Amino acid sequence: MDLLLSSFIRALRNADVRISTAETLDALSTVELVGYADRSLLKSSLSLVLPKTVPEKAIFDATFDQFFAYRKATPIAPDASSSQSEPADFGQQGGQGSGEGGSGAPQNQGQSTSTRDEASAAETSAGEMAGAQSALGQLLMRGNQIEIDIAINAAGARVNVQQIEVFTQKGLYAWRILDAMGQQALQQEIDQLNGNAEVPSRRLGQELGRRRAWLREQVRDYVERQFLLNADVTGKRLRGDLLRNMRIGRIDATHHKAVQELVRRMARRLVSAYSRRRKVFRRGQLHVPRTLRRNMKYDDAIFDLHWRSQKVDRPKVFAICDVSGSVASYAGFMLMFLYSLDEVLPKVRSFAFSSDLGEVSELFGQHDAEEAIALTLKQYGGGSTDYAQAFSDLRRLCLDDIDKRSTVIVLGDARNNNADARGDILKEVYDRCRRLIWLNPEPRSMWNTGDSEMRFLAPYCHQVEECGTPAQLERVVSRLLRATR
Amino acid sequence: MADIPQIASSVTSLRQALEAHRYICSEQIATAVYLAYHLRKPVLIEGPPGVGKTELAKTTADMFDLPLIRLQCYEGLDEAKALYEWKYGKQLLYTQVLKQTLDEVLQGARGFAESVRRLHEFGDIFFSEEFLEARPLLKALRQENGCVLLIDEVDKSDHEFESLLLEILSDYQVSIPEIGTVKATREPPLVFLTSNNTREISDALKRRCLHLYIPFPDIELEQRIIHARVPEIPLQLQTQLVNFIHELRDLDLKKVPSISETIDWARTLLLLHADRLDPELVRNTLNVILKFQEDIDSVQGELRTLTDKATKARL
Repeated sequence: MDLLLSSFIRALRNADVRISTAETLDALSTVELVGYADRSLLKSSLSLVLPKTVPEKAIFDATFDQFFAYRKATPIAPDASSSQSEPADFGQQGGQGSGEGGSGAPQNQGQSTSTRDEASAAETSAGEMAGAQSALGQLLMRGNQIEIDIAINAAGARVNVQQIEVFTQKGLYAWRILDAMGQQALQQEIDQLNGNAEVPSRRLGQELGRRRAWLREQVRDYVERQFLLNADVTGKRLRGDLLRNMRIGRIDATHHKAVQELVRRMARRLVSAYSRRRKVFRRGQLHVPRTLRRNMKYDDAIFDLHWRSQKVDRPKVFAICDVSGSVASYAGFMLMFLYSLDEVLPKVRSFAFSSDLGEVSELFGQHDAEEAIALTLKQYGGGSTDYAQAFSDLRRLCLDDIDKRSTVIVLGDARNNNADARGDILKEVYDRCRRLIWLNPEPRSMWNTGDSEMRFLAPYCHQVEECGTPAQLERVVSRLLRATR
Repeated sequence: MADIPQIASSVTSLRQALEAHRYICSEQIATAVYLAYHLRKPVLIEGPPGVGKTELAKTTADMFDLPLIRLQCYEGLDEAKALYEWKYGKQLLYTQVLKQTLDEVLQGARGFAESVRRLHEFGDIFFSEEFLEARPLLKALRQENGCVLLIDEVDKSDHEFESLLLEILSDYQVSIPEIGTVKATREPPLVFLTSNNTREISDALKRRCLHLYIPFPDIELEQRIIHARVPEIPLQLQTQLVNFIHELRDLDLKKVPSISETIDWARTLLLLHADRLDPELVRNTLNVILKFQEDIDSVQGELRTLTDKATKARL
């Protein structure tokens, strides 16, 4: 298989673009068709085949540019100027200054990194150089950028630079690559040359030293790029595992996006289990073909009627979320779950409360997740919990709408500041709805301690679950799915 | 008959051919058609409404001189409407007509088993090609010389329908239980699916398609589009109008004007014999490009600045 393409796809996956094997094969046949020659054609072609959403396309563009960009290669011509090659400057000056008895040398010595090389450089005069002996030396002296790139790549492959995992390995890999390219032989040669009495040899030694410095630069760049393309894979997987089992309150804000994606996937699964049920109704338009066909077996006497209308039974979901001070650290996460529910299911009505309960469905409809959550928290959050007030608000707002197709989900810790939680209202809801599910973010061992009212409220729930971590939530969701099937 | 291989020989020639049919497009779009033709893969086109998603399929059909078969998706669309249906009336009629013959066939048959055996000799006549009513998808597969199949607004259909599409999109074949598998004829159809992103299309479907996102065009491209669609329009007005639309797209509107609205507006202004934009003119014709009263109200206030910007931008 095409090595360049496969490593590009690896880089894309690394950047979080999901690419299946089938798409890899497509990309392969695309490349066969369009070839590598026309960069912009290749880019627009691959961007049709590999990324399948708009955000992925943006990532693709960036990764493509990064991957296929031949960096502005710093030339290694003998009179290479300024920037990275102080020794080069020096060599040049030394060469020119030789007529004046090397007067330029001492004042530059302060800048130089490798004093011995420089000093000898100052002595050498402009003129012919001896030929390099070692393989790497010859390669460097030929100064063919492409040839050197190939050599670096080959050496990289030999030392498995693709397996680089953490940034501290960068130096190690750079060194290994240089070793694989024959750095030792070069070093010996340079040492030898510098010790040599002949001027052309010393000149060569100095030149080789300068080019070696340039090569190190290149290798460092190469490793850096390989790190960007390859290293994050394992890091991300590790982080994903950690996140799933971390208590929500402790997850750092920077990882909220990852959690959000996790949560959204779960909400979608929960919802899809509910929205699939179809009910055949004895009403609507007669389905003539089916009716006739089904009645053929009765000698065309029609008595088994079939109807066209098939109603998709989309249950209503009422989601109520506690955002009070006691669950402050969880509130964001629970709202995120609520928001995801709202996103995937058409008939979700969302409510939030600390003491007064209000509907936030509209808010969720108008803003994106982060904004909506922030607004909800601002409007309802932070107060002290009063379940009695919240339940009676719920009764006032929407008890009439709750019917035998409704599912009610309560997210909260049931801590009511030692006041009566009015379980009787919850019972009313319980009697009317199809399913009442309570999701408590606290560990089970903390339930019924202190002011937790769980034991009084739990009897009026069809299901009570602990959901403090994404992993637990996932388990709850899959259990819910089993219960509904 | 259009010379299809000739047109599809390179991206540039495709782009030129599309432009000859008055569809001005970016490199990306032409590449999509190029790949769709050569790799024989369906193209899923996404993008805001009115950027020419459906138009691309229509123009492609035009350009290749192929028949366009269109399937408009909606909620509740099922295989009976999209794929095939049995001609039940014909089936029924034929049973009635053939009753006589059946009696003859069964004449002298002793016992139930023998009757059934004799009936079996007839084969499954009633569920054969003659009684099959082809709907768009099946029709597209059966086109002798290929065709362009447009599955419009696939996001409006149900999940079930998406799964139904999978077999067709990946292998260009459908399985009909009573008959067997119907494969595409020599030339499989070029398939375009469009979506307005009202819901996320499933990964399985996306995996089988090339994914083309058509964004709003940049100023230069839109100018060319207007020039191709409304060639009579004075150059000055065209420049100002496109600038104005681009100013609008930067505002926070409920529905930003799309290309089709730009074209409509250009036609409107042409009809009014305008040769340049002025605030009064814009005010009176704003309802052509903005479709919500809310948007019109919010733009009204800034009309003068916007018009000034648009008229000055390129002069």
